[in-house]
Amino acid sequence: MGSGTGLGRVRGLGSAKHGSEHWLRQRTTAVGNLLLMVWLFASVLMLPNMDHGTVTSWMAQPIVAIPMILLVLSVFTHMRLGLQVLIEDYVKDDGTKFGALILLNFFCIGLGAAAIFAIAKIAFSGTVN
Amino acid sequence: MAEPSQRPISPHLGIYKWGPHMIVSILHRVTGDGMALVGSIVMVWWLVAMASGPESYKAFVDCADSPIGYVVLVGLTWSFFQHMCSGLRHFVLDAGAGYELSSNRIWSIATLMVPLFGTAAVWLFILFGKVAG
Repeated sequence: MGSGTGLGRVRGLGSAKHGSEHWLRQRTTAVGNLLLMVWLFASVLMLPNMDHGTVTSWMAQPIVAIPMILLVLSVFTHMRLGLQVLIEDYVKDDGTKFGALILLNFFCIGLGAAAIFAIAKIAFSGTVN
Repeated sequence: MAEPSQRPISPHLGIYKWGPHMIVSILHRVTGDGMALVGSIVMVWWLVAMASGPESYKAFVDCADSPIGYVVLVGLTWSFFQHMCSGLRHFVLDAGAGYELSSNRIWSIATLMVPLFGTAAVWLFILFGKVAG
Protein backbone atom coordinates (compact mmCIF):
# COMPACT_ATOMS: atom_id res chain seq x y z
CA MET A 1 0.00 0.00 0.00
CA GLY A 2 3.00 2.29 -0.08
CA SER A 3 3.41 2.86 3.63
CA GLY A 4 7.14 2.43 3.28
CA THR A 5 7.91 4.81 0.43
CA GLY A 6 7.92 8.60 0.27
CA LEU A 7 5.65 8.55 -2.80
CA GLY A 8 3.16 6.31 -1.01
CA ARG A 9 3.06 8.68 1.93
CA VAL A 10 2.53 11.67 -0.34
CA ARG A 11 -0.41 9.86 -1.94
CA GLY A 12 -1.88 9.31 1.52
CA LEU A 13 -1.74 5.53 1.21
CA GLY A 14 0.35 4.88 4.29
CA SER A 15 -0.46 4.55 7.94
CA ALA A 16 -2.01 7.65 9.47
CA LYS A 17 0.08 6.97 12.62
CA HIS A 18 -3.07 7.21 14.69
CA GLY A 19 -3.64 3.49 15.20
CA SER A 20 -2.73 3.39 18.88
CA GLU A 21 -4.76 6.54 19.59
CA HIS A 22 -7.84 4.93 18.04
CA TRP A 23 -7.25 1.67 19.92
CA LEU A 24 -6.69 3.38 23.28
CA ARG A 25 -9.68 5.70 22.91
CA GLN A 26 -11.86 2.68 22.07
CA ARG A 27 -10.74 1.08 25.37
CA THR A 28 -11.04 4.26 27.45
CA THR A 29 -14.58 4.87 26.25
CA ALA A 30 -15.36 1.16 26.72
CA VAL A 31 -14.61 1.50 30.45
CA GLY A 32 -16.68 4.70 30.55
CA ASN A 33 -19.56 2.97 28.76
CA LEU A 34 -19.40 0.01 31.15
CA LEU A 35 -19.73 2.18 34.27
CA LEU A 36 -22.25 4.67 32.86
CA MET A 37 -24.50 2.17 31.07
CA VAL A 38 -24.71 -0.09 34.13
CA TRP A 39 -25.62 3.03 36.14
CA LEU A 40 -28.29 4.02 33.56
CA PHE A 41 -29.79 0.51 33.42
CA ALA A 42 -29.94 0.25 37.22
CA SER A 43 -31.34 3.79 37.64
CA VAL A 44 -34.08 3.41 35.02
CA LEU A 45 -35.09 0.00 36.39
CA MET A 46 -35.40 1.52 39.89
CA LEU A 47 -37.73 4.33 38.78
CA PRO A 48 -41.25 3.77 40.14
CA ASN A 49 -42.71 4.22 36.63
CA MET A 50 -41.86 5.64 33.21
CA ASP A 51 -44.36 8.55 33.24
CA HIS A 52 -43.19 11.82 31.71
CA GLY A 53 -43.19 13.67 35.04
CA THR A 54 -41.25 10.90 36.77
CA VAL A 55 -38.49 10.60 34.14
CA THR A 56 -38.05 14.35 33.60
CA SER A 57 -37.87 15.24 37.30
CA TRP A 58 -35.38 12.37 37.71
CA MET A 59 -33.32 13.59 34.71
CA ALA A 60 -33.43 17.23 35.87
CA GLN A 61 -31.23 16.48 38.91
CA PRO A 62 -27.54 17.38 38.37
CA ILE A 63 -26.53 13.98 39.79
CA VAL A 64 -28.39 12.40 36.84
CA ALA A 65 -27.96 15.02 34.07
CA ILE A 66 -24.16 15.22 34.40
CA PRO A 67 -23.47 11.45 34.17
CA MET A 68 -26.06 11.29 31.37
CA ILE A 69 -24.13 13.90 29.34
CA LEU A 70 -20.89 12.02 30.05
CA LEU A 71 -22.62 8.81 28.92
CA VAL A 72 -23.61 10.41 25.62
CA LEU A 73 -20.02 11.64 25.05
CA SER A 74 -18.49 8.26 25.94
CA VAL A 75 -21.01 6.11 24.06
CA PHE A 76 -21.07 8.29 20.94
CA THR A 77 -17.26 8.47 20.76
CA HIS A 78 -17.07 4.68 21.13
CA MET A 79 -19.77 4.23 18.52
CA ARG A 80 -18.02 6.57 16.06
CA LEU A 81 -14.79 4.59 16.43
CA GLY A 82 -16.59 1.25 16.04
CA LEU A 83 -18.54 2.26 12.94
CA GLN A 84 -15.34 3.76 11.47
CA VAL A 85 -13.71 0.30 11.65
CA LEU A 86 -16.81 -1.27 10.06
CA ILE A 87 -16.59 1.18 7.14
CA GLU A 88 -12.83 0.76 6.77
CA ASP A 89 -13.18 -3.04 6.73
CA TYR A 90 -16.04 -3.37 4.26
CA VAL A 91 -15.98 -0.27 2.00
CA LYS A 92 -13.18 -0.88 -0.47
CA ASP A 93 -13.53 2.12 -2.79
CA ASP A 94 -11.53 5.10 -1.46
CA GLY A 95 -14.03 7.75 -2.54
CA THR A 96 -17.04 5.91 -1.12
CA LYS A 97 -15.09 5.25 2.07
CA PHE A 98 -14.24 8.95 2.43
CA GLY A 99 -17.89 9.92 1.91
CA ALA A 100 -19.11 7.24 4.34
CA LEU A 101 -16.69 8.48 7.01
CA ILE A 102 -17.95 12.05 6.60
CA LEU A 103 -21.56 10.85 6.92
CA LEU A 104 -20.52 8.84 9.98
CA ASN A 105 -19.12 11.96 11.66
CA PHE A 106 -22.27 13.94 10.87
CA PHE A 107 -24.45 11.10 12.19
CA CYS A 108 -22.56 10.68 15.49
CA ILE A 109 -21.89 14.35 16.23
CA GLY A 110 -25.40 15.39 15.15
CA LEU A 111 -27.17 12.74 17.28
CA GLY A 112 -24.81 13.43 20.18
CA ALA A 113 -25.51 17.17 20.06
CA ALA A 114 -29.27 16.53 19.98
CA ALA A 115 -28.98 14.20 22.98
CA ILE A 116 -26.88 16.63 25.05
CA PHE A 117 -29.19 19.54 24.16
CA ALA A 118 -32.21 17.49 25.26
CA ILE A 119 -30.59 16.58 28.60
CA ALA A 120 -29.51 20.20 29.19
CA LYS A 121 -33.00 21.49 28.35
CA ILE A 122 -34.58 19.13 30.89
CA ALA A 123 -31.95 19.98 33.50
CA PHE A 124 -32.19 23.76 33.07
CA SER A 125 -35.99 23.95 32.88
CA GLY A 126 -36.72 21.50 35.68
CA THR A 127 -39.72 19.23 35.26
CA VAL A 128 -41.25 19.83 31.81
CA ASN A 129 -45.01 19.72 32.23
CA MET B 1 2.74 -44.09 3.11
CA ALA B 2 3.51 -41.58 5.80
CA GLU B 3 1.68 -41.70 9.11
CA PRO B 4 -1.00 -38.97 9.49
CA SER B 5 0.68 -36.04 11.21
CA GLN B 6 -0.50 -35.03 14.66
CA ARG B 7 0.52 -31.44 13.90
CA PRO B 8 -2.27 -28.85 13.70
CA ILE B 9 -3.72 -28.53 10.22
CA SER B 10 -3.52 -25.17 8.50
CA PRO B 11 -6.91 -23.45 8.43
CA HIS B 12 -8.62 -23.20 5.08
CA LEU B 13 -11.66 -21.13 4.17
CA GLY B 14 -13.49 -24.17 2.84
CA ILE B 15 -12.66 -26.56 5.68
CA TYR B 16 -13.14 -25.17 9.15
CA LYS B 17 -15.41 -25.87 12.06
CA TRP B 18 -17.26 -23.05 13.79
CA GLY B 19 -16.09 -22.57 17.35
CA PRO B 20 -17.73 -20.49 20.07
CA HIS B 21 -14.93 -17.90 19.90
CA MET B 22 -15.81 -17.20 16.24
CA ILE B 23 -19.47 -16.62 17.11
CA VAL B 24 -18.46 -14.29 19.98
CA SER B 25 -16.18 -12.36 17.62
CA ILE B 26 -18.75 -11.71 14.92
CA LEU B 27 -21.49 -11.04 17.49
CA HIS B 28 -19.29 -8.34 19.04
CA ARG B 29 -19.30 -6.52 15.72
CA VAL B 30 -22.98 -7.21 14.94
CA THR B 31 -24.26 -6.12 18.37
CA GLY B 32 -21.91 -3.11 18.53
CA ASP B 33 -22.79 -1.77 15.12
CA GLY B 34 -26.45 -2.73 15.63
CA MET B 35 -26.60 -0.64 18.81
CA ALA B 36 -24.67 2.16 17.09
CA LEU B 37 -27.23 2.36 14.28
CA VAL B 38 -30.50 1.47 16.06
CA GLY B 39 -29.82 2.00 19.77
CA SER B 40 -28.40 5.49 19.26
CA ILE B 41 -31.54 6.62 17.45
CA VAL B 42 -33.82 5.06 20.09
CA MET B 43 -31.87 6.75 22.90
CA VAL B 44 -31.82 10.17 21.22
CA TRP B 45 -35.53 9.82 20.40
CA TRP B 46 -36.22 9.01 24.07
CA LEU B 47 -34.23 12.05 25.29
CA VAL B 48 -35.59 14.50 22.69
CA ALA B 49 -39.18 13.27 23.27
CA MET B 50 -38.67 13.71 27.02
CA ALA B 51 -37.41 17.27 26.52
CA SER B 52 -40.21 18.16 24.06
CA GLY B 53 -43.07 17.59 26.47
CA PRO B 54 -45.69 15.01 27.50
CA GLU B 55 -47.26 14.60 24.03
CA SER B 56 -44.01 13.77 22.22
CA TYR B 57 -43.07 11.54 25.13
CA LYS B 58 -46.40 9.70 24.87
CA ALA B 59 -45.74 9.11 21.14
CA PHE B 60 -42.40 7.52 22.04
CA VAL B 61 -43.92 5.37 24.80
CA ASP B 62 -46.73 4.24 22.45
CA CYS B 63 -44.13 3.04 19.92
CA ALA B 64 -42.01 1.40 22.62
CA ASP B 65 -45.14 -0.28 24.04
CA SER B 66 -46.00 -1.94 20.69
CA PRO B 67 -44.97 -5.44 19.49
CA ILE B 68 -42.23 -3.97 17.26
CA GLY B 69 -41.15 -1.76 20.15
CA TYR B 70 -40.68 -4.79 22.41
CA VAL B 71 -38.72 -6.67 19.71
CA VAL B 72 -36.39 -3.66 19.34
CA LEU B 73 -36.01 -3.06 23.09
CA VAL B 74 -35.44 -6.74 23.96
CA GLY B 75 -32.99 -6.94 21.04
CA LEU B 76 -31.13 -3.87 22.30
CA THR B 77 -31.04 -5.28 25.85
CA TRP B 78 -29.52 -8.52 24.59
CA SER B 79 -27.11 -6.59 22.32
CA PHE B 80 -26.02 -4.50 25.30
CA PHE B 81 -25.28 -7.54 27.48
CA GLN B 82 -23.64 -9.44 24.61
CA HIS B 83 -21.41 -6.52 23.63
CA MET B 84 -20.58 -5.82 27.29
CA CYS B 85 -19.60 -9.45 27.97
CA SER B 86 -17.55 -9.83 24.78
CA GLY B 87 -16.02 -6.40 25.52
CA LEU B 88 -14.97 -7.59 28.97
CA ARG B 89 -13.52 -10.68 27.26
CA HIS B 90 -11.56 -8.32 24.99
CA PHE B 91 -10.01 -6.66 28.05
CA VAL B 92 -8.87 -10.07 29.31
CA LEU B 93 -7.46 -11.00 25.87
CA ASP B 94 -5.78 -7.55 25.62
CA ALA B 95 -3.98 -8.37 28.87
CA GLY B 96 -2.61 -11.50 27.16
CA ALA B 97 -4.70 -13.97 29.16
CA GLY B 98 -7.30 -16.55 28.17
CA TYR B 99 -5.73 -17.86 24.96
CA GLU B 100 -5.36 -21.49 26.08
CA LEU B 101 -7.75 -23.62 24.00
CA SER B 102 -9.82 -24.94 26.92
CA SER B 103 -10.17 -21.64 28.83
CA ASN B 104 -10.78 -19.73 25.60
CA ARG B 105 -13.62 -22.15 24.79
CA ILE B 106 -15.16 -22.04 28.27
CA TRP B 107 -15.13 -18.22 28.45
CA SER B 108 -16.45 -17.90 24.89
CA ILE B 109 -19.42 -20.10 25.81
CA ALA B 110 -19.93 -18.09 29.03
CA THR B 111 -19.84 -14.89 26.97
CA LEU B 112 -22.74 -16.28 24.93
CA MET B 113 -24.77 -17.61 27.89
CA VAL B 114 -24.56 -14.72 30.40
CA PRO B 115 -26.30 -12.20 28.07
CA LEU B 116 -29.27 -14.56 27.63
CA PHE B 117 -29.74 -14.79 31.42
CA GLY B 118 -29.13 -11.04 31.82
CA THR B 119 -31.71 -10.15 29.18
CA ALA B 120 -34.23 -12.58 30.68
CA ALA B 121 -33.62 -11.20 34.19
CA VAL B 122 -34.07 -7.57 33.10
CA TRP B 123 -37.29 -8.25 31.20
CA LEU B 124 -38.76 -10.49 33.90
CA PHE B 125 -38.07 -7.63 36.32
CA ILE B 126 -39.67 -5.06 34.00
CA LEU B 127 -42.76 -7.16 33.33
CA PHE B 128 -43.29 -8.78 36.74
CA GLY B 129 -41.01 -7.04 39.24
CA LYS B 130 -43.24 -4.03 39.69
CA VAL B 131 -46.33 -6.19 40.24
CA ALA B 132 -44.62 -8.28 42.92
CA GLY B 133 -42.93 -5.32 44.59
